[in-house]
Amino acid sequence: MTVQPEQADVLTRSLPLEMNCRALDEERFCRCCRLILRRSDQLRDGWSWEALQGSEGYLKKTTLRPLPAGWGPEQDGGESPGAEPAALQPDPLVSTGSEEEDADLRLPSNSSSPVLQWEYHVLYSCSYATPVLYFRAFTLDGRSLTLEEIWKSIHPNFGLRLQNCPLNAVSQQEHPLLGQPFFFLHPCRTEEFMGPVLQAALDHGRPVNYVLSWLSVVGPMVGLEVPLEYSTELHAAGCLSSTDPD
Amino acid sequence: MSDNAESPTETQKEELQSPSESSATSEEKKKIDVLLKAVGDTPIMKTKKWAVDRGRTVQSLAQFISRFLKLDANEQLFIYVHQSFAPSPDQEVGVLFDCFGSDGKLVLHYCKSQAWG
Repeated sequence: MTVQPEQADVLTRSLPLEMNCRALDEERFCRCCRLILRRSDQLRDGWSWEALQGSEGYLKKTTLRPLPAGWGPEQDGGESPGAEPAALQPDPLVSTGSEEEDADLRLPSNSSSPVLQWEYHVLYSCSYATPVLYFRAFTLDGRSLTLEEIWKSIHPNFGLRLQNCPLNAVSQQEHPLLGQPFFFLHPCRTEEFMGPVLQAALDHGRPVNYVLSWLSVVGPMVGLEVPLEYSTELHAAGCLSSTDPD
Repeated sequence: MSDNAESPTETQKEELQSPSESSATSEEKKKIDVLLKAVGDTPIMKTKKWAVDRGRTVQSLAQFISRFLKLDANEQLFIYVHQSFAPSPDQEVGVLFDCFGSDGKLVLHYCKSQAWG
């Protein structure tokens, strides 16, 4: 993993500190997305910009991903491996091998595992003034996944709590621009988990790319990896400033 | 270490391992030093400095912190580097240390949220 100094602060160089304020307007959303796109191009991470009128638009990424271990649309086994939270496993603090507890989280290594095509869109929600993640998945023969199958694929680190959310955290929703059925993570609570983080960064004088921070949180819930390289430049920039007070 | 573990009395730094294991081996160092900092209204851990196996995942660490703080079942714990970027739950802390460590330690900020509750 290499950090190239000249790209060190590509994601925050042009971000003034007011970028930390909790309200995200569409212009700032677009600026954050542009910076993400620039880094994505460098990393070949596959994000593209779907332009709408003017400078508006949304981020889009399509990726192929194998099914989680033991999961399959045809299988109706007693266990739902994707939904079991890892907390039910033996106390990880006394186990010496972390491989066991992570077993369900690892992608199957055999190459004959069925593969799904995942599509992720990052739109701006005017109502909530936050980004919102729309996504959908297809089998390679074109069948779209059901909501139940999507739930099974939610990362177990979040699965149980998302399921208990009374607000249907993950639900089917018509894509506001394409008019096609997608799934989405409800944006109503975004500010609740983004707020403290933005405030903490502001308190320490660190510029934050709102969309990138948000994406790093919600992406892994639905199988969207946000490589560390998006943020390593933040480390380089941070080293130039004073260390955090204890 | 069980859920009933209490804060150590003798040392600042606690090992995330069972007491019978020896941390002093002739192999290369397999633990990294982690400093945990609370964000927002999240309770502050009495012990902030931990020695963590490089192979420990972010999810595992989040579970540990959640249990240590006795969070409700519907409270989600998020972990960040630089107060801004959430590493994937499957990410190993050793890798995070290599990327973001400074002064021989990895500073991680944690924040609880009832965002989904």
